[in-house]
Amino acid sequence: MSNTWYLYLFFAAALVFAGLLGLLAKRNLIKLLIAIEIVGKGVSLLLLSTGLAKAHILTAQALVVTYIVIEVSLVATALALIINIRRQTGGLDIRSLTRLKG
Amino acid sequence: MILQTALLAVLVALSVLAIALKDLLRSAIALALASLVLGIVFFRMGAPYAGVFEISVVAGLITVLFILTIALTKSGDEVRESKLANIVFPVVFVAFLAIDALVMKRLMGKVPALARGGEAGTFGEVLWKGRTLDLVGQIAVILAGVFAVLALFRQRDKHE
Repeated sequence: MSNTWYLYLFFAAALVFAGLLGLLAKRNLIKLLIAIEIVGKGVSLLLLSTGLAKAHILTAQALVVTYIVIEVSLVATALALIINIRRQTGGLDIRSLTRLKG
Repeated sequence: MILQTALLAVLVALSVLAIALKDLLRSAIALALASLVLGIVFFRMGAPYAGVFEISVVAGLITVLFILTIALTKSGDEVRESKLANIVFPVVFVAFLAIDALVMKRLMGKVPALARGGEAGTFGEVLWKGRTLDLVGQIAVILAGVFAVLALFRQRDKHE
């Protein structure tokens, strides 16, 4: 069991790191949200694999379902914010938001 | 197990593709395919409810939301990404994968996790009896999301 757990942890860490790199490197707001989604995928894979390795798969499943519901709400709110930013600044560049500073 | 490893590798490849592709529509579709593969992985891990939610909600609903937003914001000027990041991204990612492969196996024994011990009942019993507060929280989160979207799309009053 611990051998397969190691594999899942390896891939979950790779997903989280890919998302973090995307967050650091990209400037498009929609790309940044996609990177956040990928970090979330890594975390849910980590939760379920830990549940599988420690024989708590049902609790882990309940947590992942909760996370998915929260993710949908987060994405809807963030996309609405992005549309409003596009209306205000005329672009999707994250650097255009520096104009907000006091 | 070989099939599961191959699925996980495809999942990571699709996720990297979703970040690296220049066309937003293509990267949204790559994200949807990654969710689909993750849902299949969940099914094969013995977690059908999480798999169903992942495929129907994340691969379906969130992709629709992304494509809708991309269509609504399409006519904007292109965002210029930095060229340095395009070179550094793959190098750092490959270096991290190498470190991950070397370190993770030894690190695993030191990380505290859930104590081993069986659980009884079905998914429904665990969800409704063990995690009732989570369900209440989910309802609150959904309501908060609906109100946030409503507030953001609100029309301006005439006398403002």
